[in-house]
Amino acid sequence: MLKLSLVAAVIMAGVLVYIDAQVREKFEGKRWALPAKVYARPLELYSGLALKPAYLIQELEQVGYERVPNVVRPGQFAVYGNEMDIYRRYFSLYDGDEVAATVHLRFDQNTVSGVWLDGKPTDIVRLEPLLIGGIYPKHNEDRDLIQLADVPPLLISTLTAVEDRDFYDHFGVSPKGIARAMLVNVQRGGLVQGGSTLTQQLVKNFYLTSERSLRRKITEALMSLLLEMHYSKDEILEAYLNEVYLGQSGRRAIHGFGLASQFYFGKHIGQLSAPEIATLVGMVKGPSVYNPKRKPENAMARRNVVLDVMLEQQLITPYENQAWKLRGLDVVEYDEYQKVEYPAYLDLVRRQLRSDYQDADLTSEGLRIYTSLDPILQRQAERAVKSRIEEVERDFRLPKKALQGAMVIASTESGEVEAVIGDRNSRYFGFNRALDAHRSIGSLAKPAVYLTALRQDRYNLVTPLDDSPIKVAGAKGQIWEPENYDHKSHGTLPLYQAMAMSLNQATARLGMNVGLNNVVNTFKDLGVERNLPAYPSIVLGAFELSPFEVAQMYQTIAASGFKTPLKAIRAVTTANGELLTRYGFAVEQSIDTESVYLLQKAMQQVVKIGTARFLNQQFSSDLNLAGKTGTSDRQRDSWFAGFSGDKLAVAWLGRDNNDPMPITGSGGALRVWAKTFADLPLQPLYPLPTENIEEHWVNLEQFSLTDASCEGAVKLPFIRGRMPLQTQTCTPTQTKGWWSDWFGD
Amino acid sequence: MLLKRACIVWLAMVLAACSQMPQQSYEAQVGEHFQYFPNWYHHNVGHQLYGHNEYVSTAQGALIRQADTAFFEDNWQACQIFLERAQRIAPRDPAIYVRLSYLYWVQMEKPLAIQTARRALSVVGSDAMAKDEILRLLAVIEQN
Repeated sequence: MLKLSLVAAVIMAGVLVYIDAQVREKFEGKRWALPAKVYARPLELYSGLALKPAYLIQELEQVGYERVPNVVRPGQFAVYGNEMDIYRRYFSLYDGDEVAATVHLRFDQNTVSGVWLDGKPTDIVRLEPLLIGGIYPKHNEDRDLIQLADVPPLLISTLTAVEDRDFYDHFGVSPKGIARAMLVNVQRGGLVQGGSTLTQQLVKNFYLTSERSLRRKITEALMSLLLEMHYSKDEILEAYLNEVYLGQSGRRAIHGFGLASQFYFGKHIGQLSAPEIATLVGMVKGPSVYNPKRKPENAMARRNVVLDVMLEQQLITPYENQAWKLRGLDVVEYDEYQKVEYPAYLDLVRRQLRSDYQDADLTSEGLRIYTSLDPILQRQAERAVKSRIEEVERDFRLPKKALQGAMVIASTESGEVEAVIGDRNSRYFGFNRALDAHRSIGSLAKPAVYLTALRQDRYNLVTPLDDSPIKVAGAKGQIWEPENYDHKSHGTLPLYQAMAMSLNQATARLGMNVGLNNVVNTFKDLGVERNLPAYPSIVLGAFELSPFEVAQMYQTIAASGFKTPLKAIRAVTTANGELLTRYGFAVEQSIDTESVYLLQKAMQQVVKIGTARFLNQQFSSDLNLAGKTGTSDRQRDSWFAGFSGDKLAVAWLGRDNNDPMPITGSGGALRVWAKTFADLPLQPLYPLPTENIEEHWVNLEQFSLTDASCEGAVKLPFIRGRMPLQTQTCTPTQTKGWWSDWFGD
Repeated sequence: MLLKRACIVWLAMVLAACSQMPQQSYEAQVGEHFQYFPNWYHHNVGHQLYGHNEYVSTAQGALIRQADTAFFEDNWQACQIFLERAQRIAPRDPAIYVRLSYLYWVQMEKPLAIQTARRALSVVGSDAMAKDEILRLLAVIEQN
């Protein structure tokens, strides 16, 4: 018997040593996997900024600012006619901290006309960036770590009063607490108090599973005792406050009072009011049942029970108890647009981070990732994609959800990606069409063909192109015989008109004449990394690219031949704000500026008189927008790529099963582009000629130089030495014709 | 090598002249090194050598001024961040690209400095004097 007892004691000791090692290892190591937090761009406010006050208000509400009659503390804003006060909160960015300060703005209609910081005029101020999502570990736990010093004493008193009154007296397990809980529960006729100590609850959540068994209960008790042996009450309490589960937001699990304060009340934990503390403490018992957003009645009843406990413990007065019971829950009421995550954009962020960070770092180190996402632009693009798809489905009586869409918007010069749509339902975490839908690009390929020509000495904007029927024999003897969209031929016409009209026959012939390998090289120079086969049909876009790849290609055109890799991330810092990586501006000239200048001029004609002229009706002609529509074979894909002086956007509509649609690039994607920017400021596009560009009067019918006074004379730009060789003279009394309108005088 | 050192010293002096910090006389700042860059002066695209810079009174002007100050303090990272913020406001301001080009150059990123100077050239427009000076910058970078 003695031997048996000794053996049992040795085994028990072994188990204890093992459990002790477990307890210490996890508690002293990195306790929590902290997801990376991803932020949008900080909004910069300055005089001259085109910004609708309504959009600013929307962004402030999205970031969690409260609209009040007069601002008195950080996190509030007030609107007075055409002026606005914002009490900016303190926040950190990768280049330093911005202190809490009052920002006063004056608007002149939809333009910021004055900015003051703490009462003094200033050139520029930044607002805190919107948190647009996280890169979560598999269990999707999210938390904002807090220290005990940050926590209001009332929260600690209330928590211990409700959950564990003997917390500071017991050794991890409290028989007294269990007895009292049973008594209270019997008196109140329900489960009001639990018998587990805070230490036991921490052990259960931190070390164990939710399995209900005697063995687990014993392990829990042993671990609690060991935890109390090794660590102070404050350390255990701090761990508890960070560990406790307090609800769900979609796939994201809200853990800890730090994050819960922000999530439910839009406040730092130190700013919580007593009734808000009561609400959160009440949730510990059942985060789903007492969730103030989803089950406000339950949450209010539970809060009032907690307020009663606070009264019993003399933490609040009877008057306060009564007054606060009458209050609403005051949770942050998010509108639909405020709940958003940006799955397609986050997907891009995650992919671009892969070259520098491992998944484990992204999901556990609490990194902060600062991106260039513009929430205002993103929202407009989401609405545009959705509404145009629904219009097409309705107008053509298509089944619901027949069509899909995607969009990528970037800055033309910096290459920063400002919006990404990967699905008609922009909240969908799934197939990201912006990055992964590889679709036939159709006529979007044509600018590369024309650019290839303009890079060669023998071509200029008025070089005559033959749009008669063409047959090309393939390597295996097959015949390729492209037709124009209207099934007609258009004779011989100047190069830029063939481009504006998106003529297939003329383009196919041009592509063959300039050399397919040269066309492939131009695609590479524009930033297409995919290996394209030198087949004749590539000149009409019979190959597949994603909207993101198309955006990269058109960025080089929009930036006058200067390729800047599209990027979503500006910088990454540690959880403490230490800068880890910055993704700065980089540029490489891959195509001569003069050729791209001519191409941009031709692409402006696409908008002015060609297949994208719808934009000319919708936007001021002063913007000088440029672009190209694209429709793939049998109308399977509707594309538009267009740019202003500062923004490039590529839109795509199509079916996932690749079936034909009743719309072209003009009828689908172009309208999405127009809707996106209808209400947003754009900078005009002014292609800048270099000293090698000369303007000459030409006769378009003769494809020759002419005099300014001749009928039909139009002024066009040429690269020096590449003008038409012939000159057509005329009688000086003849007047200029309608061609002059194309490029102006 | 001597020329390269001279260029860097010259740049630092130019930026010193542009900053709001207490300044030495122009002659003392530039000294013998200025002989390599006798005519470099343009108020639109680069740092003024004679007198102070006249920054435009706009947000991008303020950011460029802060970038110049950061450059002078050898805080190149901050300098680049200020310039990139300015670029977002005025994406075709050649002054930003000229400064970025300087910045890459002094950080020994010659290819990027050349490309950025070319970008400056492509957005400078019809200002012949500015164009000449960017070409001069480009030549200096390419030679060193």
